[in-house]
Amino acid sequence: MVTELPKTDVVIVGAGWTGLAAAKELADAGQRCVVIERGDWRHDASNFGAPEEHDELKYARRKEHMIDTPIKTLSFRNNSDQTALPMRRLGSFLPGKGLGGAGIHWNGQLWRPLPSDLEMRSHYTERYGEGILDGMNIQDWGMTYDELEPHLDFFDRVCGTSGVAGNLNGETQEGGNPFEGPRSADYPNPPMKASPPLQVFRDTAEQMGYNPFHMPSANVTRAYENAYGAQLHPCTYCGFCERFGCGYFAKADPIICIYDVVKDHENFELRMNSQVLRVEKSSDGKTATGVTYIDEDGREVFQPADTVCLNAYALWNVHLMLVSGLGTPYDPQTGEGTVGRNYAYQTIAAAGVFFDDNVWSNPFMGAGALGMTIDDFNGDNFDHTDLGFVGGGYISANQTNGRPINYQPTPPDTPSWGAEWKQAVRENYLHHVGIVCHGSSVAVPGNYLDLDPTYKDAYGQPLLRMTFDFPENDRKMSAYVLSKAEEIARNMDHVRAVSTVNRAAEGESYSVVPYQTTHNTGGAVIGSDPATSVVNRYGQMWDHHNVFVFGACLFPQNLGYNPTGPLMGLAYWTLDHMKNDYLQNPRPLMDA
Amino acid sequence: MAGFSRRAVLMQLGASGLAALTPGAALAQNRYAELDTQPWSFLDGNEARFLASMADVLIPEDDFPSASQAGVVDFIDLQLAGPYGQGAGLFLEGPFGDGTPEQGWQAPHTPASLIRTGIARLESGDTRLVDLDAGEREEFVKRLSEGESFDLGDVPVQTLFDEIWALVKEGYFSDPIYGGNKGYAGWEMVGFPGAHAYYTDHVDKNAPFPAPPRGIAHAPGTRQSANTARPLTARAANATQEEG
Repeated sequence: MVTELPKTDVVIVGAGWTGLAAAKELADAGQRCVVIERGDWRHDASNFGAPEEHDELKYARRKEHMIDTPIKTLSFRNNSDQTALPMRRLGSFLPGKGLGGAGIHWNGQLWRPLPSDLEMRSHYTERYGEGILDGMNIQDWGMTYDELEPHLDFFDRVCGTSGVAGNLNGETQEGGNPFEGPRSADYPNPPMKASPPLQVFRDTAEQMGYNPFHMPSANVTRAYENAYGAQLHPCTYCGFCERFGCGYFAKADPIICIYDVVKDHENFELRMNSQVLRVEKSSDGKTATGVTYIDEDGREVFQPADTVCLNAYALWNVHLMLVSGLGTPYDPQTGEGTVGRNYAYQTIAAAGVFFDDNVWSNPFMGAGALGMTIDDFNGDNFDHTDLGFVGGGYISANQTNGRPINYQPTPPDTPSWGAEWKQAVRENYLHHVGIVCHGSSVAVPGNYLDLDPTYKDAYGQPLLRMTFDFPENDRKMSAYVLSKAEEIARNMDHVRAVSTVNRAAEGESYSVVPYQTTHNTGGAVIGSDPATSVVNRYGQMWDHHNVFVFGACLFPQNLGYNPTGPLMGLAYWTLDHMKNDYLQNPRPLMDA
Repeated sequence: MAGFSRRAVLMQLGASGLAALTPGAALAQNRYAELDTQPWSFLDGNEARFLASMADVLIPEDDFPSASQAGVVDFIDLQLAGPYGQGAGLFLEGPFGDGTPEQGWQAPHTPASLIRTGIARLESGDTRLVDLDAGEREEFVKRLSEGESFDLGDVPVQTLFDEIWALVKEGYFSDPIYGGNKGYAGWEMVGFPGAHAYYTDHVDKNAPFPAPPRGIAHAPGTRQSANTARPLTARAANATQEEG
């Protein structure tokens, strides 16, 4: 028997970055918000303190903060000729669980999209002609950089982002990223320190005519009061960032930046250990009536609401739509339908730099966003004429994760175990840095999400099925950007050896086994055409006007940047239109 | 390894793994005798000796301890007895298919059952890995690592090797509270100072950080890493101090 609860104004699925931002903004706007979260309550102060949190085995290897695959996973195949099998163990990407979601174990690499990224089809078509996008589902996002900028800026003030502006109100600034869109205000905090390998990378990149700058970082560099009045503390460069929560209050996360300032709000209610099964629809199918979930006592509960916000991880938002019958599922045979269409990922390659004893990297000193970066080969910052691909990636010397179980750098041709391996790890551990190529990912018709016909999760629902391999465009892009990174690496002083890895190398298929990034995007994309997008440019579903969708599932294709900045810009953009337009007069905000 | 013929061993090793091999002179030595008196949580003595033999090929003794000397077998025993070994991180609903390498773990086993079943099938004859001489042990591990034609039924050879090697590295480099990394062997070897991490004043310095390791249980390490004590060979790097 399903228990029906009293109606609320807004029900929010998921208590991560976007869910808590939605709760804060809508509660302040007078909406009674119920947030439903599948995982446990936790807090930086009580759960993430050192030294206990600094446990590489527990958090980086056994992944205690991540989704439990026995309860929630997906199936995977490289193409539709294969049979998808369950992703039985986490690997390539790491969705979170619990209060704060994946936002507690992010690195804090906080980027903005390029203006041309948001108008990708228009931009490339205008500059290079229509043919350059053949075979790809490249789309415009439906809003411009200028429209998004106030919201990107606000999120910088939620996180206390550190960095050097490269473009302040149209004026190019020394030391910043000269390719970025105009910022309406400087970074709230100064950049992070630069470790010796980052200094060498910067000097070499400058000598080669590139434009190095400090990676924008949500690892805060000084005491900071954020836009909501929450307090953050300076980063200690402890080296336990990605896969860990931050007990120093130094990495901006949804708990300390937002939850703490909304938790006592009279319009806010949080229900933990509650798994949403589906969004319910009205009899005419035009609106949602609320959500059905399994509560912490195992009861099936219906929570009616006037407005439904989907704020789960990108993949699970798409899963929830598919099992709820929201929108029309994408059919790769006909190209029709939109839910599950335009799934994309991130194209990762890297050069490993092995220094002689003159450069001490001390890789255990680090921070999630401690990086020195060039953006010269990202987006359309370089001429793509005759290159045979679109997109690009940033190239960044990063010092984020030098913990010894997962970080055992050895030069090329070292055996992978045994005496020589042991000697090489010992000699190189303190003298190595990785230069990552963080590449974009185009959407193509054959990469998509739907429901698996065979496998079911712990709640008896079909698993989400992912069909994905690296598109040819991205293989070319990745090889090109990696060649530039390798060139920088070989030009650096005191370098004994350089290794490379390219996850999208020709002849190799995408694998769910080695960690790449937790940057799964698309499947419920934003846009201005209901034939090619699930939500309109305000994040509102075309088919169900009281359902709003948040997160990286909105990206029409993936950028060469980390997704949290862009997706939070979109979240505040959507919330702005909800608060100032929709809620006063609920209706479709765009004509289909 | 001088005078050792890989081909000869490969010809000896049939599809049944160790069974075709004749133990060498090492048989009488009872290598890893100390393991016989251990109260194991999951392993039996034979499994412990197999894992010790294999782990010490993967991480042999040099200036720093071998894997088994650093407690890696104790670590693996506790891990296989605990949630990880019992499948806490694995979706184990069927049906099971072979899958592609890109689809990852598809074996119908928990890690504990994969390793127990795998060792039992590798040692189904009279020969034990622990009884082989050093060259033969290394050749066996090499063959296992290449996923060559052992027939282990529903235990994929590559998955078995990868899982054991991952456990060996985890045991060598994880916090000593888990039973491995004894005396901070792994951390001292590379120069990792451990769980008490606060580097604001050092992160931009081009210099070693010669602190003895300290783990979650606060027990201090005994000595500074040999790695951080190595002399600097020449001038400092071209940029040593970050301005501001």
